[in-house]
Amino acid sequence: MQRRPLPLIAVAVLGITVLSTAPGVSAFGAAAPAVALDLQFTRTVRPFVVKYCAGCHTGPAAAAGLDLISYAKLDAVVRDYSRWATVHDRLASNEMPPKQVPQPPVEARRQVVAWIDAVRADETRRHAGDPGTVLARRLSNAEYNYTIRDLTGEDLQPAREFPVDPANLAGFDNSGESLTMSSALLKKYLQAAKETGDHMVLTPDGFNFSPNPAIVETDREKYAIQRILKFYFRQPTDYADYFEAAWRFRHRAALGKPAATLASTAAAAKVSPKYLPMIWQLLGDKDSVGPVAKLQGMWNALPEPVLNQTGVNPTDVNPTGDNQPDVLRAQCVAMRDFVVRIRKHTAMEFTAPLVKGLPAGSQPLLNWKLRAYALHRRESEPKDLRNDTDPAPVVPPVPRYPGLHQEAAPRWAILSAKARADDADLVVPAAARAPYEAAFARLASVFPDTFYVTERGRYFPDDSDDKGRLLSAGYHSVLGFYRDDTPLMELVLGEKDQKEINRLWLEFDYIAQFTARTWTQYFFNQSGEVAGRGDEGGTPRPPDHEITDSPVIAAMRDAYLAKAAADPKNDPVAPEAIRYQFDGINATLRNLEKVRKDAEPAHLDALLRFAARAFRRPLTKLEHDDVLAYYRTLRDKNSLNHEDAIRASIVSVLMWPDFLYRFDSPAARINAAAARPLSGYALASRLSYFLWSSMPDQELLSHAARGDLQRPGVLLAQTRRMLKDDKARGLATEFGGNWLDFRRFETHNAVDRVRFPGFTNELREAMFQEPARFIEDVIRNDRSVLDMLYGNYTFVNPVLAKYYAMPEVRGDAGTWVRVDDAALYHRGGLLPMSVFLTQSSPGLRTSPVKRGYWVVRRMLGEVIPPPPPVVPELPHDEAKSDLPLRDMLARHRENPVCAGCHARFDVFGLAFEGYGPVGEVRTKDLADRPVDTSATFPGGSQGSGFEGVQTYIKAHRQNDFVSNLSHKLLAYALNRSLQLSDEPAVDRMQVRLAANENRFSVLVETIVTSPQFLNARQVIPEARPQTKPDVRKAD
Amino acid sequence: MPEPTVKSTSRISRRTVLKGAGVTMALPWLESLHALADTPGAAGFPKRFGVVFLGNGINEDHWSAEGSGAAMKLSKTLEPLEPLKHKINVIDGLFNKAATGQGIHPAQTGSLLSGARISKGAIIHSGISVDQMIANRVGEDTPQSSIVLACEQPMTGYHETNFSMAYSSHISWQSPDSPVPVEVYPSLAWDNLFENRGSLINSSILDRVKDRAEALGRRISSGDKSKLDEYLTSVREVEKRVEGTRKTLGKAEDAAKLKNSAPIAMMDRPANGLPEDLRDHARLMCDIIAIAFQTDKTRVASLIISRDLSAMYYPFLDVKDGHHGASHDNNSAGYERIAHFHLAQYAYLAAKLDSMKEGEGTVLDNSCLMFLSNLWIGRKHDNSRLPLVLAGGLGGTLETGRTLNYLGQPEDNRRMCNLYLSLMDRFGIKVDQFGDSQTRLANL
Repeated sequence: MQRRPLPLIAVAVLGITVLSTAPGVSAFGAAAPAVALDLQFTRTVRPFVVKYCAGCHTGPAAAAGLDLISYAKLDAVVRDYSRWATVHDRLASNEMPPKQVPQPPVEARRQVVAWIDAVRADETRRHAGDPGTVLARRLSNAEYNYTIRDLTGEDLQPAREFPVDPANLAGFDNSGESLTMSSALLKKYLQAAKETGDHMVLTPDGFNFSPNPAIVETDREKYAIQRILKFYFRQPTDYADYFEAAWRFRHRAALGKPAATLASTAAAAKVSPKYLPMIWQLLGDKDSVGPVAKLQGMWNALPEPVLNQTGVNPTDVNPTGDNQPDVLRAQCVAMRDFVVRIRKHTAMEFTAPLVKGLPAGSQPLLNWKLRAYALHRRESEPKDLRNDTDPAPVVPPVPRYPGLHQEAAPRWAILSAKARADDADLVVPAAARAPYEAAFARLASVFPDTFYVTERGRYFPDDSDDKGRLLSAGYHSVLGFYRDDTPLMELVLGEKDQKEINRLWLEFDYIAQFTARTWTQYFFNQSGEVAGRGDEGGTPRPPDHEITDSPVIAAMRDAYLAKAAADPKNDPVAPEAIRYQFDGINATLRNLEKVRKDAEPAHLDALLRFAARAFRRPLTKLEHDDVLAYYRTLRDKNSLNHEDAIRASIVSVLMWPDFLYRFDSPAARINAAAARPLSGYALASRLSYFLWSSMPDQELLSHAARGDLQRPGVLLAQTRRMLKDDKARGLATEFGGNWLDFRRFETHNAVDRVRFPGFTNELREAMFQEPARFIEDVIRNDRSVLDMLYGNYTFVNPVLAKYYAMPEVRGDAGTWVRVDDAALYHRGGLLPMSVFLTQSSPGLRTSPVKRGYWVVRRMLGEVIPPPPPVVPELPHDEAKSDLPLRDMLARHRENPVCAGCHARFDVFGLAFEGYGPVGEVRTKDLADRPVDTSATFPGGSQGSGFEGVQTYIKAHRQNDFVSNLSHKLLAYALNRSLQLSDEPAVDRMQVRLAANENRFSVLVETIVTSPQFLNARQVIPEARPQTKPDVRKAD
Repeated sequence: MPEPTVKSTSRISRRTVLKGAGVTMALPWLESLHALADTPGAAGFPKRFGVVFLGNGINEDHWSAEGSGAAMKLSKTLEPLEPLKHKINVIDGLFNKAATGQGIHPAQTGSLLSGARISKGAIIHSGISVDQMIANRVGEDTPQSSIVLACEQPMTGYHETNFSMAYSSHISWQSPDSPVPVEVYPSLAWDNLFENRGSLINSSILDRVKDRAEALGRRISSGDKSKLDEYLTSVREVEKRVEGTRKTLGKAEDAAKLKNSAPIAMMDRPANGLPEDLRDHARLMCDIIAIAFQTDKTRVASLIISRDLSAMYYPFLDVKDGHHGASHDNNSAGYERIAHFHLAQYAYLAAKLDSMKEGEGTVLDNSCLMFLSNLWIGRKHDNSRLPLVLAGGLGGTLETGRTLNYLGQPEDNRRMCNLYLSLMDRFGIKVDQFGDSQTRLANL
């Protein structure tokens, strides 16, 4: 193969100054050394190889798969230098040629070693910082999932069932070398794009993505309802919080905040700044009686802030002094409970208006009742107060639940009478009733009986088990929702939040079309009641109109009005209720029609924004027009409706190569064989796929747009910001997972769950997460990379804590805590993590071979050649073997063919014999023999257990670890395997690391400011059609 | 006679509200077009699966079958099947255990085709239904993986048992969380089938992607271009396959048009809107299923003629109450007429499929068409056994002309899911467990 000439590039000082250096031809491009090296190869190296190595290392069956004769020229050696580096090491350490064969003279050996060094030095010098060939690469499965997450705002993981991505030589699945495309995979992409599109939900001003597919109406409802509930639940509506905040305001001076205002106090306490003053005012009301006076009494009895002994103001955490931390809270809670009880016992109650011939559950009548509740939550029912002269109340027995469609109020009235029968706070002096009623009214005006209603059963209010009908109106069988949050709107929400919740309700109807669906279901299934067809009778379809047309609604209204007018005994409010119902439906439907029509342009704008974000750069004019044209085609030619056309357009965007692939486009095209700086957008993508495994966010893109991302200050500031972001978990999982080979553990199935019943899916997931959490912590808190080796701490969730016999962790599986002094539990750092110990075990025994191999290969970066074809079997069940594994392996190493390699790593695994096949700490093996964890490491030092391994590495191999980590991280960042010209960058990473407390960020910062990261080899287009560089701004 | 044509229409979104502009229509079958190639593919003729559903049970006094073959005796409600009795199996005694003991109606319906446990309240959760299991397997080869139709709009509020009415309104579930939306408009069901919309959109997306990749290819380096070519090649391959499917189907239709020997049915596109009369509506839906099966547009269909808790009226049967009300007096003559009407639609569809030649047999011979209700005795909400008929020999894998009775056998032998497992076997779907069953139905 012809060696491709490497482009000569500007080799500036490594680091951040490279950008200021004009590209040009390097002065280092002298050819002379290469000629000399070539000559030396022919004269010295080749004859040496033929004489001393070829005996074993020849042909297709060469030992260790290394055919040294195949390297006929210097070029070949350069291209495959990593293997020659191994040759170098083996020769230098006198391990090769093996003792049994003739040994070369010392000088000859030295010359070859020196020659290999010289090749490296020469290549490195001539091409340092070469960006290398970084192919266009499709998003890896992981990157695809993360990107969809950030593009849609929902973690949909559409690539979860894709075939596993192959890794490149460096072990990473993020390079064009290994990421191939096939028609089978393309079909999966199409499927994934459609699946993502199915989550799209149109809103009046754009579109969102729902966590669940949003094609089916019930799924759309679920999405819209959850958004509203989340809004409600995040509002501060706990009275105790307000009382506590009022207390802080009252004692602001003593608490060291003399300048505090009600507003600032509310902000600090995270309660509503609108509502706190109302409560504050009530607590200060003069001349109060009844419940207000009682509440004020409790308020005045709250403890004073206690200055602690040093005279310092008490802290916010513990304002009442060290000795009684919860007193204040407990008393505020008591105040809250008092208010809640009083309000519950004096809440207004309503019934549906009576109309002869209509059931109480008739929608217009029932809705009037729901409306009355919503509007009177800040009022107190005077009838619920008892005079002190009254006899004790007699509560009738609670009746059974009413039948379907019947009024539930009588039952509820008795239930609530029963509840308040013993409430002495409701007893008022008969002689002075008026001020008491006023006090109850005053209390109610500040404290509603509830702020909002999240669910209704078929009797409302009620004590039945009809739970979980979220936001439901409580109709029988027919769909229906009812909004009741007036007190929240009036008391708690500021203008912005009011708008927000109004918008969410409008969008609920827009997305789930519930008004129209309720109307239709009601029309077909219940409206027949007005015509005497019974409670569950429908109305036939009108012949000349759609059901949602105004005349159909008006006709139904009139039929109900006639019914209401038919009997003079009917409730006189019924006509108003009926008008309110039907006119309300009509107005809502007409408004939604208009909103729907007006929204179409907004959806197209959103589609264009979506495309720009998907492509991680602004659209060109051509692309902009193309997106719109495709939408038009779908509408006009494929006769899709608006929503389906938007959905298909989204699918199409997700299939474009500009989304699926990453291209490194330079900022400018200059037809010269030199490296060019990446464009701002390409750099933004490179950075975000390195640090987040995902697309750039808005901030990063805005720097790309401004053109200042290449400025070292900006670049480093962005890098630091990104490393702190929780999306850096992408780097921990994808880089860490591939580097340390635990990425596929989530589907690890080699554990015999009959023998190890404790190994559950939850434990497996926790094991998988442990190293990712650990590395994430190193990344985001910028710790020493050596913590991975020596850190006497780890991270556990409840499952893993239990497994490791650590103190209990409370919470769900997503609760991770740091555990210090992990050595107490025989853990700490990466080495003794159960994921590695388990993954390496073939089921019913441990594998010291694999464990040791993992340590030297993955952690220390040692290159071990593949084993010969014939390998003796080890027993598959430890319990059924006569000898301990240790002894069997010792025999294995007596065979010189095996010893050459196994001596290098078996011992590391043997030191881990204190952990069983699922990483459990053990003192005996499965055959009940005591385990021996002692080891003699290469070079002769002794140790035992993982602490022994740590000590050995610290003394002899720490540099190997750091060098390996640096190489791996650089290869990961560059999306390619490394080449010789990357060595200076790696050297610099190590030097800077050592000078900066080994902090992880140093590695990253050195990489992102390296020329190979910032540049791309010049793109030479085959043909360049004149395209206008009309680039639109994406926002 | 004319080819099927797409009339220009002002389209209504399937997902917008089911508005009910009434349009009466009477669409005759047009017996002008002719059969698909009558030589089977390598795997034989395709197997199809259909379900026809009646809500709220039958009149148990008039539902029985005895004997086999020509000697089979059918009771009054089953009479419409008389001409086809050598091609049916009447199965008695099966039930859905998961649908018992949880309350009436929605809980008796939500897992009818899945045997799953369903959830109350706001969480809608059932199980993937047997028809969709089959669709997932055989649907790849056809333009539509399945068609899910209904003559009655869904209700989605809450029933008094606190189960969502979504369970009463759907029998086909594509995932445990989501029912397949039912299509109630014959016109839209027709469009989806005959406009090949799914694959059209696929092609247009791929087409665009191809254009884009080609344009991009002119602007990038040769290294990048090799990656892009890989992508482009994949796009072309998939596109070819999509086109290929469409072409094969087109060819089948062309062949059908040219031959005169074995007539197949063709129909005009149904008018927009909903048919005024249930009889027209049901018939159109049956026609659509028949033609979809025959032209291999899909191999899986389900049709809800009336849903659970149906609010349908039957003035033409001289029944005054609505469907659900009438079912509370289910041994009345009126309710028998309602059940009889449903059986007549089922028999109509089966006969239609049986009139469609396919090789030596008929489309029915290569199908399994199931008739099923969620209840046995409406007035008692009794679902301890279910009315069940299977029509068609499923490509010779299902012996017909039998009455099978599982009453009196242990519960484990009587599960509907046993039947589903046995049917899925015949579609090449080998699973150990489905719903609440791990055993195949004996003697099927």
